Amino acid sequence: MMPQADPSSAPGAPGPPDSRDPPGALSPRPTLLGRLREAVIAVGALTLAALRWPAQLAAVLADTAGGVVRRVTGRSRHRRGDVLVQLHLLGNRSLGFVLITLGFLGMVMAYQACLQLSRITGDTSQIGQQFLRLVTSDLAATLTGLMLATRVGAGIAAELGSMKVTEQLDALRMSGVLPIDYLVVPRVLASMVMTVVLSVLGGLAMFAAAGLTAKLSFQVNPTVFFDASSVTFTHLAVGLVKALSYGVAVPVVAAACGLTARGSSEGVGHATTSAVIGGSFAVLTLDLIWSIAAYLAFPGRL
Amino acid sequence: MSEREAPLLEFRDVDKAFDGKPVLSSMSLSVRRHERLFLVGTSGVGKSVAIRLLIGLLRVDAGELRFHGARIDELSEAALLPLRRKIGMVFQHSTLFDSMTVLDNVALPLRKHGGLGLAAARVAARERLAAVRMEQHAARMPAEISDGMRKRVAIARTLAMRPEVVLFDEPTTGLDPVSARHVDALIAELPATAGVTALVVSHDLISIRTVADRVALLYRGRIHALGTPAELAASPDPVVAQFLAGRSQGPMDTPGF
Repeated sequence: MMPQADPSSAPGAPGPPDSRDPPGALSPRPTLLGRLREAVIAVGALTLAALRWPAQLAAVLADTAGGVVRRVTGRSRHRRGDVLVQLHLLGNRSLGFVLITLGFLGMVMAYQACLQLSRITGDTSQIGQQFLRLVTSDLAATLTGLMLATRVGAGIAAELGSMKVTEQLDALRMSGVLPIDYLVVPRVLASMVMTVVLSVLGGLAMFAAAGLTAKLSFQVNPTVFFDASSVTFTHLAVGLVKALSYGVAVPVVAAACGLTARGSSEGVGHATTSAVIGGSFAVLTLDLIWSIAAYLAFPGRL
Repeated sequence: MSEREAPLLEFRDVDKAFDGKPVLSSMSLSVRRHERLFLVGTSGVGKSVAIRLLIGLLRVDAGELRFHGARIDELSEAALLPLRRKIGMVFQHSTLFDSMTVLDNVALPLRKHGGLGLAAARVAARERLAAVRMEQHAARMPAEISDGMRKRVAIARTLAMRPEVVLFDEPTTGLDPVSARHVDALIAELPATAGVTALVVSHDLISIRTVADRVALLYRGRIHALGTPAELAASPDPVVAQFLAGRSQGPMDTPGF
């Protein structure tokens, strides 16, 4: 089929492709080099897209570290008591949630452990000691971190994300404020403190609930269950280091999600979801890293 | 060149693209001291992008931005803070901090930029609010006042630091005609009362005709026409004529549609 004649074009000049022609009828066959080039471009675009998020996260982490240094050295002006406010919002308001969820998890885990051991060996006397070591070095901090990734992470991402899409972050910058110093640093400092505190309290709730369940369901003697003699400083130190790192990771991931929110309410929703998923993933990744590091650093002591 | 005609702000061959799609292409424009220059064009043409580049809320891909002859496009975020004291911006949707009262919204830049304590900043902020007839609403939250009031508070917040230049991003969009003319009057007074240079992004034809000293038409990523409102009104250029007449039919392509 011939293209429609264009009065302005010279006779014989190639006209525009006719929409009724089969697709690609007038386009040259792609060469091997052309296909290779397209493949390289596609791989490059995918790589850049995959690296964008880690780069953004690293940038927020570095900016936050800089903000903490500026604050400690007195080079940033901040609202008096802003960390105290965040301690209350992130910590006090999460207390009930953390105590209840970790308490329930302690009950379920103790019940299942006693049930399985009673079926296999019938001896449940060691459960308390082993459970306490596990709670101290891992479960208290990690489960608290996961709970905070949902409650605190979602809150931070939603707040910063809505400020981002309504241009309030730009207005802050125009008012002489670095959003990281003003919004992220106090939340990270408060989160570091409160994740440790909540991990300790959550761990106590978990252990108490577990002991109560073991006593009521399997008649495990509380004196035997609550035997803390096998818990060492190493268990405690590993647990506290994990809690501290989660206290940094959860708000930083959430802040990175919020600060990069785009669009409108849909973008805020996406940022919030990403904060919960990313925060949880960060907690579990850090748990694995710290556990391996502790295993290698303290062989036979965990 | 007289001081009034010397460029205070300059775009020099500025390029900006998003996701590979060019928005500004070799855009050049000079803003003179104490003038009210309106940057106009159709929706999505890049007007707001251009003024955001000036204060580092976006970064140029290529080209130069100058303020008082010095490069400002390469400044770090920390180095931009003092510049933002001299170049203020009124956002399109006012963008007040919704967790602060009207008074504290105006006091914030006085504390952060100006280094005032809270009490002194609030006293100064109350004076700035009085200048836009909003002092009686100082204790209210942004959600409790009208769009026109929010715009006046946003102008007071921006003028609080006594900037040399104020960038207005569509200041009359979304306002009723009476409020829009109040905002026009505030902008019109700025060079005389506050010694401020105003760069106004707008497509409000009434504002353009009544307030602008000069008008720059941004089209296809660069300044297509520049002159006084009267000069542009007399222009035989069909693109200029279509825009100023507000006609849908004509040679202009409209990226916003």
